[in-house]
Amino acid sequence: MRRLAFPCVLTLMFAGIAHAEPVPSAALIEEGRYLARAADCSACHSVEGKAAYTGGVPFDLPIGRLYSPNITPDPQHGIGRYTEQQFARAVREGVRADGASLYPAMPYPSYARMSDHEMQALYAWFHYSVTPSSEVPPASTMRWPLSMRWPMTVWRWMFAPKPMQARQMSERSFDDPDVARGAYLVEGPGHCGACHTPRAITLQEKALTARDGPAYLAGGDAVDGWIPPSLRQENRTGLGRWGEDDIVSFLRSGRAQTGSAFGGMTNAILHGTQYLTDHDLHAIARYLRTLPPARQPDLKWIYDARTAVALRKGDVSARGARLYVDNCAACHRTDGRGYPPVFPPLAGNPVVMSEKPDSLIKLLHTGATLPAMQTAPSAFTMPSFAKRLSEREIADVVSFVRDVWGNGAVDAGKMVPKE
Amino acid sequence: MGGLEGWRQAIAAETDGPYTPRFFTPEEWRFIEAACECLFPRDEVGPGARDLAVPRFIDRQMDTPWGRGALWYMMAPFEAGPPNLGYQLPLAPRDLYRTGIAGAERYCVKAHGKSFADLDTDTQVAVLTSFEKNPIDLDEGLPASLFFEQLLANTLEGAFSDPLYGGNRHLEGWVMLGFPGARADFMDWVDQYGPAYPLGSVAINGETAKGA
Amino acid sequence: MDILRADAVVVGSGWAGSILSKELREAGLSVIMLERGPDRSTAVEGAYPDSIDELRGAIRHRLYQDLSQTTVTIRNRMDQRALPYRSLGAFLPGEGVGGAGLHWSGVHFRVAPDDLALRSNVIARYGRKFVPEGMHLQDYGVTYEELEPFFDKAEKVFGTSGEPYRINGKIVGKGNVFSPSRSDAFPLPALKDVYTAYLFRGAAERVGYHPYSLPAANASGPYTNPYGAQMGPCNFCGYCSGYDCYMYSKASPNVNIQPALRQDAGFRLISRAHVLRVDLDSAKKHARGVTYLDLDTQREVKVEAALVILGAFQFHNVHLMLLSGIGRPYDAAKNEGVVGRNFVYQTITTSHAWMPQDRFTNQFIGTGGGGVAIDDFNSMNFDHGPHGFIGGSPVWVNQAGVKPIAASSFGGGKDAPRWGKGFKRAFADTYRHAFAIDAHGSNMAYRDAYLDLDPTWKDAYGQPLLRMTYDWHDNDIRMNRYVVSRIEPIMKELGATKYELGMLQPGQSFDTRVYKTTHLGGGAVMGDDPTTSALNRYLQSWDVPNVFVIGSNAFPQGMGYNPTGMVAALAYWAAHQIRTTYLKAPGPLVPS
Repeated sequence: MRRLAFPCVLTLMFAGIAHAEPVPSAALIEEGRYLARAADCSACHSVEGKAAYTGGVPFDLPIGRLYSPNITPDPQHGIGRYTEQQFARAVREGVRADGASLYPAMPYPSYARMSDHEMQALYAWFHYSVTPSSEVPPASTMRWPLSMRWPMTVWRWMFAPKPMQARQMSERSFDDPDVARGAYLVEGPGHCGACHTPRAITLQEKALTARDGPAYLAGGDAVDGWIPPSLRQENRTGLGRWGEDDIVSFLRSGRAQTGSAFGGMTNAILHGTQYLTDHDLHAIARYLRTLPPARQPDLKWIYDARTAVALRKGDVSARGARLYVDNCAACHRTDGRGYPPVFPPLAGNPVVMSEKPDSLIKLLHTGATLPAMQTAPSAFTMPSFAKRLSEREIADVVSFVRDVWGNGAVDAGKMVPKE
Repeated sequence: MGGLEGWRQAIAAETDGPYTPRFFTPEEWRFIEAACECLFPRDEVGPGARDLAVPRFIDRQMDTPWGRGALWYMMAPFEAGPPNLGYQLPLAPRDLYRTGIAGAERYCVKAHGKSFADLDTDTQVAVLTSFEKNPIDLDEGLPASLFFEQLLANTLEGAFSDPLYGGNRHLEGWVMLGFPGARADFMDWVDQYGPAYPLGSVAINGETAKGA
Repeated sequence: MDILRADAVVVGSGWAGSILSKELREAGLSVIMLERGPDRSTAVEGAYPDSIDELRGAIRHRLYQDLSQTTVTIRNRMDQRALPYRSLGAFLPGEGVGGAGLHWSGVHFRVAPDDLALRSNVIARYGRKFVPEGMHLQDYGVTYEELEPFFDKAEKVFGTSGEPYRINGKIVGKGNVFSPSRSDAFPLPALKDVYTAYLFRGAAERVGYHPYSLPAANASGPYTNPYGAQMGPCNFCGYCSGYDCYMYSKASPNVNIQPALRQDAGFRLISRAHVLRVDLDSAKKHARGVTYLDLDTQREVKVEAALVILGAFQFHNVHLMLLSGIGRPYDAAKNEGVVGRNFVYQTITTSHAWMPQDRFTNQFIGTGGGGVAIDDFNSMNFDHGPHGFIGGSPVWVNQAGVKPIAASSFGGGKDAPRWGKGFKRAFADTYRHAFAIDAHGSNMAYRDAYLDLDPTWKDAYGQPLLRMTYDWHDNDIRMNRYVVSRIEPIMKELGATKYELGMLQPGQSFDTRVYKTTHLGGGAVMGDDPTTSALNRYLQSWDVPNVFVIGSNAFPQGMGYNPTGMVAALAYWAAHQIRTTYLKAPGPLVPS
């Protein structure tokens, strides 16, 4: 009860706006909370160690560094003065209360398809249940001319769909209602394309829905150095060999027989997808499995046992093999199959076979912790190897894992170390 | 070049260059170097304590919580008792070394007219053997055998611990034994019955043994 | 003074404390857990490869009790002056979240049913006169059948690997023929045999013994336990005892229970909280909670709770009872009182074998809980009549990963030089060819082996240290020597070039300097008779019924098996009784 009353009091005291309308029902607030998680608002608006939704997450874009704003209902520093209509316009159309345009880091082109009712629920959650905070995120450092907001307006006119249009797109017909629900979640609130769809030079996603063509979810550009993989059905570099249950398990707990989360996806699961219902997770998985491979020919991954046989004999003559055995095999096995869901496989892992090795290289540098999730309370750590391996050695071992077990990634062995 | 290369070079320079002890005085250092080598001599089997930088390991250990006695119960009163009830002196390891070396040196000068380091190898062995076997009181109630056991234990630690601590230089202590080090994965080897384990040693920092 | 409140306060974060906390949370009680050491998470502290460090782990005792703050004093005889255990040697209690459950090896036994009623069984079989003068032989007051569901539950939580023999009375596998029937299989199949375990298995079988795979809480495959906690498989890295398992394959409170507790808003863990006493009412019949010292602020804090669980290490539980005045302290001179009575240990000796130079035992390959054992000379599995002693030992190859510093102090064996010329040759020639066989046996309780408060030494908080009065007794030395003599036929069958049998010597005194085992027991034992036990059969204090004391302190005598499996089963057994009976009507569960 206190959590509900507290923001109201603050709003009244500081903003002086009398709330004539009654406090929304608990059910509506709960619906809003679920949507906030499905839309993963936290991923971009919450920083670890600070109160939820107080902003300050940095985005390094080609146009400069952007910090996400505080979206708690604080009237001065957050969005406490927003009316429901202003809130909905910001979320779905990218227009602030003062009329300025939001930067396209805010995935309003995806959010555009959320319904008026959903806006009402989301607003209820943010306005009545989130704790207001006066936290002020650092100032963004955008380079001129994009430090001005008006070019964003032009961008918005050019690339962002109107809510009505967006909803119509999602209302295309599906044979399977679950797939329809999945399409809505993925293309809409889930805004998966924001990371997993490539962007044009003008920064808009090249496709906003599956109907826009094979670029949709075909793998995005680097986000903080991580390369979001394709979520389409490519056999080697996409989800072609992930079953429905693998995808569900991954989104629910960050771990699956086929791989574990790291990089930006960890937070998306931690704050977002782990809270989705089984039904919604299965819907997402079914929808993703309808997206045909974007790349042709779609070569099949076939496990090659030769490396495992050699390593079991103690033959580490292949370049990078000794490094692999000394640093990686303990958890990922000499046969590359790992011990899923605890330690993920490298053999046949789409991230390993990705066109670019950047994610792997970054992972070796930074290490990663897969945090506790509500259905998987164990945290697991992959250590950083930055103090153990040189750039040359990292290049060698990354090339090794991309090359063996049938992985044969395109540029294996051709990597140039940064030294 | 990342910070890593600089870090590695710094370690390499310190690993292979001359070492200036931080705890031991020059006189004590001469004793430590000679005594460690006597306990763990270079021979046809492999490198000796000096080669493995065991004295450096012991010197560094003096400035750890263990060396300062912070891991031991050091509250008074201190009373003597039968050996099987354990260590009862008020000396932390670093004090035990200081007292023990001084006492050992006095013993050597009295018995042989020379500092331990200046004795020939056979006499050094004889001195350490008498320390090991006989209840000679070195000083402050410190039995020579207790000092000897501490020195021997730390010498073996210096020869076989991860190079992180300054000993086991270039993993040569492990190579001598065929111990693989910090790889810590034998899934492929647990059911290979009989043959030698073929992979060379690796340290926590990724250093691998030469030629292995 | 700061005051905290909870339905239950749990002292200690090892297996006992963690199991009770989880069970009490499931019953809906709010729980505060107090741990005097630091917080420890395997994902942080145990990460590869930094934890693969023998010096920091087993040698400098990273996970063990910080003796600088508190220790015990030890003497062999009542007429001696006890002296402080100033540096770790014979036994290694844990400290920090997970307690000894974080640094243990993983051998996860149930119990030999005969051991639960050892007094009754010995007297029934050999007569009353068979029990020597001064031996306090007692029954637990609980049967295997009563405990079976809780052994089963613990194995599922621990992710235990093993081979069953009998399930619901039907022989199903090649497990231990002496083991009692189970209600279910182990959650995971047995670990693979390392080479030396394989040699032992074959030799033991050929000489007519009954070898079996040690039940191990080291997962033989990836595993998710009933709390959702996940384990990786053991890869035989050999860093179990003294280490947190970077593969998350050795069961620990940190890997198997704490992850679930930490997500639970009704549970609060407070580390660096040193419990000074259980606060009792003036009649000493009811506990109000506990008082602890916050080691960071040095302020005393009271935790008020309706239920107090002592789940610290065996002798710390007894120490707290003595400091708090729970139950009547044992008086050895009068042979009266119960708290401190029946302090027991185990008899463990190691025998060594050396294989030919072309046979590599690769001792560094190993797992803490795995191996091959025989029970032919354990418990009541053989005829004690001709030998005149009580008790027994399992015998095993339990190659837990022999690392070079530990191995160097043994070098090339008893006859080889310990240092100097010849040492390196002997050590280098044998390190990869040697292995060990242990006799890990029982230890009976005696009138003159007990715990009380030391009159002289105090801990860093001004409280008297616990005093151990303990020595080996003739019965146990003879038991050990007999069982070790039964290893010899195996040694001869192995194909070893040389072997040395390790056994206790007649008249030998307990030596605090050399590691033996951390399997201490008793001191606050369970039983049916309040004049000989501090706890009833549900581990509830006879005197202060809202205090339960969980741990190996409850064992009336030291058994041949490793204690953790029994401790975990007793913890679930006590918790079950608390949940189903005590909470409905708090009070004595057994009339005294």
